Amino acid sequence: MSSVYLDHAATTPVRDDVIAAMEPYLTARFGNPSSAHRWGQEASAALEHARARLASAIGARPSEIRFVRGGTESDNLAIIGGVRALAREGATPVLLASAIEHSAVLEPAGWLEGRGETELRLIPVSPDGNLGLDRVSDQLDARPSLASVMWANNETGLLLPMDEVVSWARTSCTVVHTDASQGVGKVPIDVGEVEVDLLTATGHKLGGPRGCGVLFVRDGIEIEPLIFGGGQERALRPGTEDVAGAVGLAEAIHLAVRDLEASGPRMAALRDRLQGRLLDAIPGLRLNCGDAPRAPHVLSLGLPGIRNGADFLMALDLEGVAASGGSACHTGAAAASHVISALYGSDDPFATVRLSVGRASTEDEVDRGAEVVAEVWNRMKSP
Amino acid sequence: MSRVLVAMSGGVDSSVAAALLVDAGHEVIGVTMKTFCYSDIPAHGKTCCGLDGIMDAKRVASTLGIPHYVFDVEEDFTRDVIDDFVAEYARGRTPNPCVRCNSNTKFRDLLARGEALGCDRIATGHYVRVEHGSGGTTLLRGLDDGKDQSYFLWGLPPEMLPRLLFPVGELTKTEVREQARALELTTADKPESQEICFVPTGDYRDLLRKRLGPVHPALEPGTIVRSNGTVVGEHAGFAGFTVGQRRGLGGGFAEPMFVLEVRPDTKEVVVGTRDELLGAAVTVRELNWLTTPPTTGDDVRVQLRYRAPAVPATVGDVGAELRLELGNAQPAITPGQSAVLFDGDRVLGGGRIA
Repeated sequence: MSSVYLDHAATTPVRDDVIAAMEPYLTARFGNPSSAHRWGQEASAALEHARARLASAIGARPSEIRFVRGGTESDNLAIIGGVRALAREGATPVLLASAIEHSAVLEPAGWLEGRGETELRLIPVSPDGNLGLDRVSDQLDARPSLASVMWANNETGLLLPMDEVVSWARTSCTVVHTDASQGVGKVPIDVGEVEVDLLTATGHKLGGPRGCGVLFVRDGIEIEPLIFGGGQERALRPGTEDVAGAVGLAEAIHLAVRDLEASGPRMAALRDRLQGRLLDAIPGLRLNCGDAPRAPHVLSLGLPGIRNGADFLMALDLEGVAASGGSACHTGAAAASHVISALYGSDDPFATVRLSVGRASTEDEVDRGAEVVAEVWNRMKSP
Repeated sequence: MSRVLVAMSGGVDSSVAAALLVDAGHEVIGVTMKTFCYSDIPAHGKTCCGLDGIMDAKRVASTLGIPHYVFDVEEDFTRDVIDDFVAEYARGRTPNPCVRCNSNTKFRDLLARGEALGCDRIATGHYVRVEHGSGGTTLLRGLDDGKDQSYFLWGLPPEMLPRLLFPVGELTKTEVREQARALELTTADKPESQEICFVPTGDYRDLLRKRLGPVHPALEPGTIVRSNGTVVGEHAGFAGFTVGQRRGLGGGFAEPMFVLEVRPDTKEVVVGTRDELLGAAVTVRELNWLTTPPTTGDDVRVQLRYRAPAVPATVGDVGAELRLELGNAQPAITPGQSAVLFDGDRVLGGGRIA
């Protein structure tokens, strides 16, 4: 039995060329970028090259790139640090977050709200990708505000209308953060064209190392740090820099963006092939956000007649197919995720299974994946 | 060989159970049931992935080379076990949450989900045995007298018995630990778990306060009385008392005093001497039979609490309730605890003491 990994949205292997780019900074060029000697200079140069490489991949200036330790940290920094910087103006800031944000946004948002540091408003989202911005805009222009709307949803691949968010935000001077962890390298993203103020990206979703992330902070936008120490990353993320990680992250993002013209359609074709086979095999199958613009690598299934999505995933694994229910972050959780509940209601009768392809996925793999999903569905569906 | 789902708590017994099944050539799938969340983070509490038992079970499964999954049964467990536990104490009774879990939650869930995963058999690390005879499958005490856990399993649906495997029931605890060390399982020297799993601090009153709210009759002061009605003291809430308890009654008595009864209606805790604690008969409800039910006049043995010996009894009326006349009067017959009937090592069935 051949095993098939169709969970690249959870994480995906580090590319060989990324490992090669990182390797010198784990060994011979091990210096601390803050050191004045030439070991330090070498490391510092590598870090700044990485910063420039990453900046150019998303249309930013190098000065706008802060290296952090992963996507969750980047989101937390944007939300907590962003709200606290706005609070300097005196009034309690309003925080607007789409209802389908990752928990790395919603959890710090809820925590801030619980402490009375912000008024949190959730922006409703429909399965076709429409945002209910008008429903959260009440008296916004009088208050400092931050909106967090993800570029591509991790559970469904849904692409949110960032253009619309940015133009709406202009009318109320709202600072815009976007979690683009599933968007960068999957769809074209240029912060010069879609003028978000803060953008989160992470390495391990696109062939970079884990534990390495970035927060783009547009020049002029203020963020309060969450941790304190030396002055690294403009004092926003102190601590001796992970040079190898930054190099790997920048290389991975650079390569993913460079290859996107070919890899985007290729992933979309694999996703569509998988989708077509499953639609044929499973009567009543719902494609979550299937009618909306989606990132090319994610296919989210609403399976009819399956009581427990967690059991379905275990059965898939026993047949050698790796998938996940919505997000990979909730071990064993049987209930529908907050994303599916927000999109389809909390009593949604469908079980969610997310299949996601990566740059190395093949047609044989998606064919085998479709076959196994259909087999297991036939076995487990309630009569 | 068959595909077996083994419930792995992360403890040494279920670790060895899994290892023995792998040795026997079965295709083994390990699962850990996530019954509750230690985290106090409200609202989004689904995210606790770090329970120690789950981590230990994962390490053992990886050593054994078997897949391991987490079954989230928090919702069912809360409803069927924790809510019942709290309600029983609020009624002045002393529940057996492990019995409740085995009867209502754990095994039913394992079987249903095992079937979905194509498993023929379900295994756990309980010290009991099953015997397949001409009259069907029956449940027997574990061979290690000191560890036998049949007291907790009388409530199993009888139709499940043929599907169950209890590999460590044939071993002693010492042998189990030796096996675990020989296999270099990380859980080999893990201490015994003594506490109720959802009361990690050991003080269930904290949980009652949390779930009953700060104002509840079971947590309000009341009087301590003798059986003739004489008031001999005060207590801070009857939910803190169980029949047979000696602690917390205050001093000044001529002879040792024990809780005889908890009266939720009047918030009274009745105390008396060791002699007054004895009871000659017991009424049992919520019956479940793993064999043909006994009939009036049968001589059986009954175990009235965990680690107590099974004592001779004669079956009185049997119906929705069971009346047992005890051969010798027994101390501290506690409402809410299990009464489990045996014929030698064979579990006949049981129920909750009324």
